[in-house]
Amino acid sequence: MYGEPILECQLLCKRFGATIAVKDVSFSLRRGDILGLVGENGAGKSTLIKLLGGEHALDSGTMVYRGKPVEWTNPSHALREGIAIVHQRPLLVESMSAAENVFLGKECVTHLRLLDDQTIGEKARALAARYPVFPDLDLRQPVAVLTAGEKQVVEILKGLSYEPEVLILDEPTASLPKEEADRLLELVRRLNEERHLTVVYISHKLEETLSLCNRVMVLRNGENVGVVDRAAADRPTLIRMMMNSDLSEFYPPKAQGAPGASLLEVEDLQSPQLHGVSLRMNAGEIVGLYGLMGAGMSEVARAIFGLAQITGGRIRLGKTGEVFEHTRVDDMVARGVYLVPEDRHHFGLVPTFTVRENATLAHLGRCLPGPLLDLQREQRLVEHELSKIRVKYADTEQGIAELSGGNQQKVIVSRWLMQECNVFIVDDPTVGIDIGAKHDLYLLLRGLTQQGKAVLMISSEITEIIGMADRLYTMRRGEITAELAGDAIHQQNVLENIL
Amino acid sequence: MNGTQQAVGAAASAAARAPSTTSTPAGKIARLLRGKELLVIYVLIVVLVAFASDRFLSVENVANILRNTAIGGILALGLTIVMVSGDFDLSFGGAVSLLNLLGLIALDKGLNLYLVFALLVVGGVVWELLNALLVVRLKMHAFIATIATMTMSKGFIFWITKGSTYYGAYPDNLTYLGRHAFFDVLPANALVFIVMAIAVYLLLDRSRFGRHLYAIGGNSEAATYVGIRVNRQRVVSYVLAGVCVGVATVTLCSKLATAPSTAGDGYQMTVISAAFLGAAAFRVGMVNVRGSILAIFILTTIENALIMLSVPFYFQFIVQALILIAAVTFVSRKNKKGAGPAIF
Repeated sequence: MYGEPILECQLLCKRFGATIAVKDVSFSLRRGDILGLVGENGAGKSTLIKLLGGEHALDSGTMVYRGKPVEWTNPSHALREGIAIVHQRPLLVESMSAAENVFLGKECVTHLRLLDDQTIGEKARALAARYPVFPDLDLRQPVAVLTAGEKQVVEILKGLSYEPEVLILDEPTASLPKEEADRLLELVRRLNEERHLTVVYISHKLEETLSLCNRVMVLRNGENVGVVDRAAADRPTLIRMMMNSDLSEFYPPKAQGAPGASLLEVEDLQSPQLHGVSLRMNAGEIVGLYGLMGAGMSEVARAIFGLAQITGGRIRLGKTGEVFEHTRVDDMVARGVYLVPEDRHHFGLVPTFTVRENATLAHLGRCLPGPLLDLQREQRLVEHELSKIRVKYADTEQGIAELSGGNQQKVIVSRWLMQECNVFIVDDPTVGIDIGAKHDLYLLLRGLTQQGKAVLMISSEITEIIGMADRLYTMRRGEITAELAGDAIHQQNVLENIL
Repeated sequence: MNGTQQAVGAAASAAARAPSTTSTPAGKIARLLRGKELLVIYVLIVVLVAFASDRFLSVENVANILRNTAIGGILALGLTIVMVSGDFDLSFGGAVSLLNLLGLIALDKGLNLYLVFALLVVGGVVWELLNALLVVRLKMHAFIATIATMTMSKGFIFWITKGSTYYGAYPDNLTYLGRHAFFDVLPANALVFIVMAIAVYLLLDRSRFGRHLYAIGGNSEAATYVGIRVNRQRVVSYVLAGVCVGVATVTLCSKLATAPSTAGDGYQMTVISAAFLGAAAFRVGMVNVRGSILAIFILTTIENALIMLSVPFYFQFIVQALILIAAVTFVSRKNKKGAGPAIF
């Protein structure tokens, strides 16, 4: 029955050691709801859905599902009863085909108990036709060759193949380009209308949450701060609830007055993915670089930093007047040109290292009074630097994996700031981190320009790049399409130049 | 503004640190013992066996343990260096056998002893450079590449010896390094091991080079993105492993003064086990220098203790296996709590 409570939660609690991840959370999910779940990283969203889906056991509290009190023993228990979770990072077997992944654990067999790949393939095709997020996606391909977005779709198909009554989506659009993200949201809406599928939807993109959900629940420090109806919810309200402060100061004020001297110039850069890119970075400016996914922004950053093959063009450093036709990372680092790469898990973090070791990796020289590292000095240095950008951690000898995403990113940023920089390049630094940490990073980047540094910022979020950039280059298919400054940096102008 | 923000930041991080376990005495002890469980177990084993057998801690027996640890220990140092950077070497046992044979042939032909020792070290380096060529330049999986070179070493040995043990006439001072002990308690080869262990520890755990090596093993992409020249470092780590293989051959050759075709093979499994066992100590979850050193001592001490306690020799393999299983279980349980990924 539409609108009746399908899942009622009373005083759910979960603690890990000394940290309380979820504290006395009560809410009721009604059949046909699309409930948005928002909150900063570490607010307890992931823990909460894992409780709902049986991936964590409750410490205390009760769940009543379809009128009966339930206690999940494991995830497949919840799955059998109709609660499916689609995880943010797809849990797929890379070497198997997409179809095999979708039906993993419920393979079709012939009467001889042999695997029936043909039926699996047919069923997968039927499933993909029923839920057309990526109509062109060939499910026979091995998962390893799929893009991040396609993997996400496979993960969602996997969830839907269980015909769930409650579908929990954990940031499903985080790695999707806009077009696919829109298609996915449309699909969720349709499933909701046609089949009364109940959805719990986690996203850091508030606009998306507001357009999709009929109610939004805000978590802060593991507690339910409130559930708002869509009619009453808007971006500022949600942000206020999430961080208990105001949106008006969200982006720091832009640079005043004329920019300083040019610190780095790129002239007519050519590479397999770039076709004659020229740009300039001045002291005291945040220069934005924006385009659709795959338009070559990261490639520009990598080319400057010596990590991409350059077939033509020059890079000129303003301070020394040096001109490079090929760059190398260690040369750039020696000249104060630093890059915070995209995808911190892949390119940034050393997961086996402690907080201390991750923080000093780029500038170990500061802990080297002689040939040997001075570990005490290293620890003091790290504590000092991390406190400057308000990293929350228990102790420097903690594994980096124990920190939340925002704090991990702060460690990676401060890795570079242990030594004076000239040009600071950040490639999509706020992906998947909470609003508080985002704000801290914005202040930090602005602080650098106030000290006369140049910042090159790449972002996949248009509001962020508009809010931060003093000057903005737009890109399309490996070329710069426009250079915008001041009031010319607004959404319509930007979109016209990237599409 | 900036000042207050820093003060706020400092207060915030101090507050974040407050609930950590450092404040209580129990917490202090727990912190002190973190990653040292294996060391405690080792001490317990030594104490227990010392009660059971009064000869166990005698001067001769301690010298014996040290002597038996030395060669495997030196090889474990070499393997640890390549494993720290995320690579592997299965060929060192075969390399030792082959170099041992070549060294003894050279001595038999009348080459100067010290020249031969030096050439053996060079030979170890050349051998590991071959591995580096396959693994780093040709991008082969280290496991496969070194299985191939291991197999090749066997081929060369049988080619030269036709399958029999090589006998020759060697200078008298050949066996000094392998059999002499200072003050009857510190064998010369153990001294070599101790010196090398300290050097490798300083190089890997206390120098920039070593930290970079651990970073490469942890995430080579991240290492590239901070300006570490990953492939060059990996080649250097193979070269250093080659030095260890060479020195191990020198000590082995000096101990045996004969060239059975499988001279180095006996060390292979013990040394590999030691590297993995060592991952349960100090830097838990990663192969690391201190862990490997401790582990090789544990394995040889237990072997010795079982002999002292007159336990049939085959039990040592079973005990060794059980220890390894227990240690790896310990590591993977720790990793579940988020201490970092497993070694493989």
